[in-house]
Amino acid sequence: MNYSDNVGVVFVNEGAENNGFNFNELKEYARKLNKVTSIWDIQEILQKGKKWIISEIKEKNINKLVIAGIEPGFYKTFLANVMLECGNNPEKVYLASFSEYAATTKNDIDKAKTIIACAVYNADYEKIVDFGENSVNTNTLVIGGGIAGIQASLEIAASKNKVYLVEKSGTIGGHMAMFDKTFPTLDCAACILTPKMVEVGQNPYIELMTYSEVLEVNGEPGNYQVKILKKARRVDLAKCIGCGQCAEKCPTRTPSEFDAGTKLRKAIYIPFPQAVPNKYLIDEKVCTYVQTGKCGICVKFCPVPGCINLDEKDKIVEITVGNIIVAIGYKVFDARKIEQYGYGKYPEVITSLELERLINASGPTGGKIARRVQDKKGFWIFSPDEIYEPKSIAIIHCIGSRDENYNKYCSKVCCMYSLKLAHLLKEKLHDSEVTEYYIDMRAFGKGYEEFYNRIKNEGVNIVRGKAAKVEKIGNDLIVRAEDIENGKIIEQKVDLVVLAVGLEASEDAKKIAQILGISVDENGFFNEFNNISEPVDTHKGGIYVAGLCQGPKDIPDSVAQASAAAARVLQSIAKQKINNRKQNFSISEVEAKIFNA
Amino acid sequence: MNARVNLNVKKDLLKYGAKDWNECFHCGNCTAICPLTDDNSLFPRRAIRLAQMGLKDKIKENVVPWLCYYCGDCSKTCPRNANPGELMMSLRRYLISLYDWTGISRLVYTSKKFELIAIVVIAIFVMILYINFTVYPAGDPNKWLGEDGGVLINNMAHWRKIHLADLIMAGLLSFFLITNIINMWYHMILKDKTVKVNILDYIKGLYLLPLHFITQKRFSKCDESVKTYWYIHLLLVIGYVTMFTMIVGFLEWFQTDKVHPFWHPQRLFGYIATVFLFLGIIYFYYNRRKKLRENSKYSHHTDWAFLVLLFLTVLTGILMHYFRISGMPKLTYITYLLHLMIAVPMLVIEVPFSKWSHLAYRPFAIYFSYIKNLAYKRK
Repeated sequence: MNYSDNVGVVFVNEGAENNGFNFNELKEYARKLNKVTSIWDIQEILQKGKKWIISEIKEKNINKLVIAGIEPGFYKTFLANVMLECGNNPEKVYLASFSEYAATTKNDIDKAKTIIACAVYNADYEKIVDFGENSVNTNTLVIGGGIAGIQASLEIAASKNKVYLVEKSGTIGGHMAMFDKTFPTLDCAACILTPKMVEVGQNPYIELMTYSEVLEVNGEPGNYQVKILKKARRVDLAKCIGCGQCAEKCPTRTPSEFDAGTKLRKAIYIPFPQAVPNKYLIDEKVCTYVQTGKCGICVKFCPVPGCINLDEKDKIVEITVGNIIVAIGYKVFDARKIEQYGYGKYPEVITSLELERLINASGPTGGKIARRVQDKKGFWIFSPDEIYEPKSIAIIHCIGSRDENYNKYCSKVCCMYSLKLAHLLKEKLHDSEVTEYYIDMRAFGKGYEEFYNRIKNEGVNIVRGKAAKVEKIGNDLIVRAEDIENGKIIEQKVDLVVLAVGLEASEDAKKIAQILGISVDENGFFNEFNNISEPVDTHKGGIYVAGLCQGPKDIPDSVAQASAAAARVLQSIAKQKINNRKQNFSISEVEAKIFNA
Repeated sequence: MNARVNLNVKKDLLKYGAKDWNECFHCGNCTAICPLTDDNSLFPRRAIRLAQMGLKDKIKENVVPWLCYYCGDCSKTCPRNANPGELMMSLRRYLISLYDWTGISRLVYTSKKFELIAIVVIAIFVMILYINFTVYPAGDPNKWLGEDGGVLINNMAHWRKIHLADLIMAGLLSFFLITNIINMWYHMILKDKTVKVNILDYIKGLYLLPLHFITQKRFSKCDESVKTYWYIHLLLVIGYVTMFTMIVGFLEWFQTDKVHPFWHPQRLFGYIATVFLFLGIIYFYYNRRKKLRENSKYSHHTDWAFLVLLFLTVLTGILMHYFRISGMPKLTYITYLLHLMIAVPMLVIEVPFSKWSHLAYRPFAIYFSYIKNLAYKRK
C-alpha cells in the first residue's frame, strides 16, 4: 500500500433517494479515513465546473480519486480526464460501486463503508469480506411446501440427500393446487402437481413436516441448528385411515382455506381430497373441544382407537442442516382495500382466486358459477343452490398492482391468468360475453403472446382502459371504464365481476427474514444476493430463496428457480464446502483485515 | 389536422400550479371514475395527453377543463399519483391567461409580485380619487349626523359620484371579460373547421347560460361529499350576486342617510348576503388551510389572494355599516375608503384576469360544448 496517497472521494448519490441510503453517514465515515483529504458531491462538481475541481485537486495535492455511489461508473471518464488535466495519473480513479456488491438498501450501510474503505486503501473487497469456507452438513431444510418447495425438495432428494420439508398448513401443494388450469398451455394444474406431491410423500429422503413452523435458526452457513414447532395435529398420522367419519359428525364449520373461502369445511378436516399427507387434522382455532373443553364427537365416531387425541400438545423438534431454501410463497391482495370495486359489498364481485375455485370441476359448485350468499351462521359462501349463468362478465386487471396507493410493482401473472380465466369462462358459458379491462397487456413469456392472440380470437372483448368503479344502479351492476382506443365511455351492465388481484409478500415473510437473518425489500419480498448473477442466493451463505417469496413470478419461473436453488445446495454438498458469507459483519472486523492486507 | 408541439407548455403549466402529470401512464381510471364524463366529454386523461405532448393550440381549443368541477376522485384513485384533478385546475388557470389578450392575466398567475403591485397601485389610485371627490367630516361632529343618529354619508361621499365610478368600472371589466369570451368562442367554435354551428344551435342552448351561472348545477353532480361544497359555493354566489346588484345597480337605495329598521330589506338583504359570504370564505379558507379535500390540497397564490381580498372586502363593508348606523362619521369615512381600496382592486384583478373569471367561462364553456355537440349530432 502506498501511504503517500492523498485521496479525494467523490459521492454520486443518484439512484439512492428511493431506498433511504444514508449518504451523510457514509461521508462522515469517509472523512475519518486517514488518507482521505477531501470529499465532494458530484452535483457540486458539475455545478461549479471542471476548472474548479482541477484547481481544488491541485491545491489539495490529491493524486487519487475514489468515486462512491450506487452506480458511479458513469463519471469515471470525466474524472479521469480531470486527473489527466491536473497532471496526475488518470488511472488512479477508482470506483466504489455499491451495486456491484449488492449494497443497495439502507441495511447495507456497513457494506458500503467497507466498499469505500477498500477502494481508498486499494484492497480487494471480495478478499476482505471472504470469511473463509465452512464444511457442510448434507441435510437441507426447505421452508414452504408449494410448487417451489416441492420442486427443490425433489431435486435434492433425487441426489439421495436428506431434506426436511416444513409446511405451515396441513398439506403441501400451496396455491398451485387451487388452480384449475395453467397458462399458456391450459394444462390441468392438479395433473402436474399431484404426482409431485405424492412423490414428496413417498420419497424416503424427504422428511415431511406439515402443520409445522420454523421457530429459530442458529449457527452459521453449512451448519444451522433449526428449531421447528410441530403444531398439535391432534390426529395420529400413522393411525388415521382417512375415512372421514370424524368430519361428517363434526358440528363446527369454518371457511376452507383451500377453496379460498368459497365453501366451508369442518373443524376436523383434510384440506383437499388429494392432500399429502392425506390425513385429517384439527383446526384448534375453531374446534369446540379445544376452545371450550366440551364435545369430542369425532373421537366417538373414529373407527381407529387412539387415533384422535384431542389433548395433544405442540412439540418442538431440533434438526441440524447445512443449507436452507426459503420458498414461503405469497398471499393475494385483499380487494376490500379498494372500495370503488365493491368487493365485499356486492355478491357478484369476486376475486380471481375465488373464480379459480368456482370454475374448477372439483370446486364448491362443481365448476359452475354461483352467487355468493350468506348462510345461517353468517358465512359468505358460494352455494350449489345459487348457481346462475352470467351473461356478461367483466374481468378487471391490476387490482392492487401497479398502483402507487397499494403496490407499485407489477404482479406479473395477472394478465395471463385473466386471459386464462376468460378462456375457461367462455368454454363453460358459450353465450356469455367476457370483457377484459386492462392497462397494458403483459404477455411476456414463451408462448404467451400467442396465447393472448388466441383468446382475442375466441371472442373475448379486450378493452384498453382500467375500469374505475363497479356500481349497483337499481338492480344492475355497472362497470365503468374509458375505452381508450375507441374514445368512449363504457358503462357495461354485468352479472359477474372478476377482480384480477395482485400478489403480495406472505405475511410470514418478515418473521422468517428475522429468524434467518436475511433481508426483505420494501415490498416484503426477500432480497436476493444479486439479481442477475446470483438470483437465488441471499446475503447469508447457505440460505437460498425460490419461488414467489422472492418476487412475483409464474409457475414455470418458480419451478426453474427452485431447481436453481437446489443446484446451489447440491454444489455445496458436492464440494463439502460453503462460502461463509455473512449478512452483517462489523466494520471493525473488516477494517482490521484491510489494514493487515 | 396539424398539431404543433410546444416545448414550453410543461414549464408554463408548472407555474400555473400543475403537479406530476407526467407520471400518467394512461390507464383511463380518471376518466372512468369521474361522475361528469360521457362520450362527448372525455377528461381528464385526454387533457393530460395534450399537456404531456405540449399541444398548446389544442389545449386552447379544448373546452373540457371547464367541465370539471374538481371533486378530486381522479386524484384520489390515480394509480400513479399523477394528480389529474390539479392538472385540470392548472389548465383552467392556463386557459384564462390564454384567452386574455391583454397579457395581464398571465402576469397575475405567474408572478406573485406583479399581483401584489397591481393591487397596491389600483388601491392608491382609488384612494386619490376618493380623497379628491369626497369631503372629510371635519368640524362639529353633530353636523354630520342625521335625526336618527346615523351618519349623513351622502354628504361626504355622494352616492351619485360613487355610482358613476361603479358604472365606469363595471363597463371596463365587462369589456375585458366579453372580449376574452369572444376569444374563447373564436378558438373553441370558429377555429374548429370540423363542425359548423348554425344560428338555431346558438338559440337552443341559450338557456344554459343563466341556468349554470346561477345554480352551478353540474357541480352538484359530483359525489355526495361534494354536495356540501356545492351548497356552500352556492351560498357564496347568492351572497355575492345580491351584494353586487344592490351596490352597482341600486346604490341610491342602498346607500342612504336614513337608518332603516332592522327588518327593512336594505339591511336584511345586506346582512344575509354578508353571512353567506362569511360562511363561504371561512369554509373555503378552512379547507385550504387544512388541505381537507383533494381540491384544496394545493393552493396557488391567486387562490389565497382571492380569499383574503374577499374577506377584507366583506369585513370593511360590515364595519363601515356599523360605524354609519352608530353615528361615527370619521370612522365611517375611513372604513369606506378602505372598503373601496380593497374591493376595487379585487374586482379589477380577479374578475377579468384571474380566478373570478370562471363566473363567465364556466357557463359559456358548457354552452359552447352543448351547441358543438348539437352540431356534431346533426352531422
